[in-house]
Amino acid sequence: MTGRRRVVVTGLGVVSALGLDERALGRRLFAGEGGVRRIRAFDLAGYRCTSGAEVDDGELRAALADRGWRRVDRTLDMAMLASAQALEQAGLAARGAEHVPQAVGTLFGTGWGPTESLVANWQSYQEKGLKGLRPTTVPRCMMNAISSQVSMRFRLTGPNYVVVSACASSTVAIGMGYRMIRDGHAERVLCGGADAMFDPAVYGSWNNLGVLSRNENPERACRPFDAERDGFVLGEGAGALVLESLESAHSRGARARAEIRGYGESSDAEHVTRPSEQGQTRAMSAALADAGLEPSGLGFVNAHGTATQANDECECRSLRAVLGAEVERVPVVSSKPYFGHLIGGAGAVETIATILCLEAGRVHRSLNLDRPDELCDVHLVRERAVDLEMPTAMMNSFGFGGNNAVLVLRGGELA
Amino acid sequence: MIRTELVERLRDVMVRSCPESVDWDEVDETRTIESLGIDSLAMLDLTYDLQQAFELEFEPEDLLGVKTVGDLLAFLAARVGS
Repeated sequence: MTGRRRVVVTGLGVVSALGLDERALGRRLFAGEGGVRRIRAFDLAGYRCTSGAEVDDGELRAALADRGWRRVDRTLDMAMLASAQALEQAGLAARGAEHVPQAVGTLFGTGWGPTESLVANWQSYQEKGLKGLRPTTVPRCMMNAISSQVSMRFRLTGPNYVVVSACASSTVAIGMGYRMIRDGHAERVLCGGADAMFDPAVYGSWNNLGVLSRNENPERACRPFDAERDGFVLGEGAGALVLESLESAHSRGARARAEIRGYGESSDAEHVTRPSEQGQTRAMSAALADAGLEPSGLGFVNAHGTATQANDECECRSLRAVLGAEVERVPVVSSKPYFGHLIGGAGAVETIATILCLEAGRVHRSLNLDRPDELCDVHLVRERAVDLEMPTAMMNSFGFGGNNAVLVLRGGELA
Repeated sequence: MIRTELVERLRDVMVRSCPESVDWDEVDETRTIESLGIDSLAMLDLTYDLQQAFELEFEPEDLLGVKTVGDLLAFLAARVGS
């Protein structure tokens, strides 16, 4: 194989607080309707952070039953549904039909893995001792449970593994899938990410870390780049994307919804939770260089934009360093106020949101950006959606531990 | 244990390992385990649930030959002394 192959996205699947498919996501993104509410999954007594973007439990159960699937684990269930949507949209699976083995890779990202199973088995061991540990403890709780279960259900015989790099996990999964196809190691890869955080102990861990918003008004809690921001709001869900070579898409007659043009990654190698301008800048610059794109050719940035003091300030400094004079022109937005921070699922769902913006030719409006922080001195999208000057985007994900992963995407006609 | 009681108890256990969409009124002894949506992971769950419900000790591999609901009933009947 010589030269770089072009990599396109032919299928999207999403499960989030905005609904159980990409149509619901797009509709509510462009209607300016967020999905952050007061958490219902457990008793909030004693918790100082009470907002979250939960997936509707009844809808999730109904969607699984509708497909004839049993509940296994919340993270796995959401990943499975998103995968089904993406594969069906790409024409690589048909609902209700028997799946035959096909050479498709399965790369998923997750921050915490199958939390429901991890917590349940630990509790059962505490209560019953050795007999409390089900024989499924290992296959349910292993960190590659998502990709292994997805690959088995849909008979995907390409490489399957899980990437764990905190909030950057699924962006890394997409980046690796992109590189596999670009460099000729694979033809098609299902990439995605998932996390489920609304367990009292798991959520409590975040509560005690001190990075979540304490705003008692859920709809106003997540405020990226705003002067009054006070932390992020957790979400849950899954995103899945079918990546394939442009030649493969053409040969199958599959519709290319966007192109992955570039990917860059770096490690801060400094501090476990404090972001680094140098680390972020290197990842963004590497992604733009990989895409062969100058800042003057960038349509917009879907920022990591968590709404912590540290992230938003640092990300804006990094954007100024990377974009130079273009920083005054390139619109910057964060999708997190709509569906929360999905941690390992964040990159996948935000990449899907980015693709929906590229298809619509406009960037969705910001939520809760009433008074931009003076230290977030970039061209922020405010209360109105912004028309795109050109169909290109950069999508940032930065994780605790110093992982930075950045994608560059292109929409429009992909001849 | 009489056979009808065994059937009822097996059904109560299997419900936990199967999708909610299974219509149990339509399930008879010829029905294959796989057609009930029980994959390799669910089969391990079912094994554990049977061990607990019937207070039996056996290994997952003891069920490798079990293909139908009837096979499973026969396996349990032999173990619980029906």
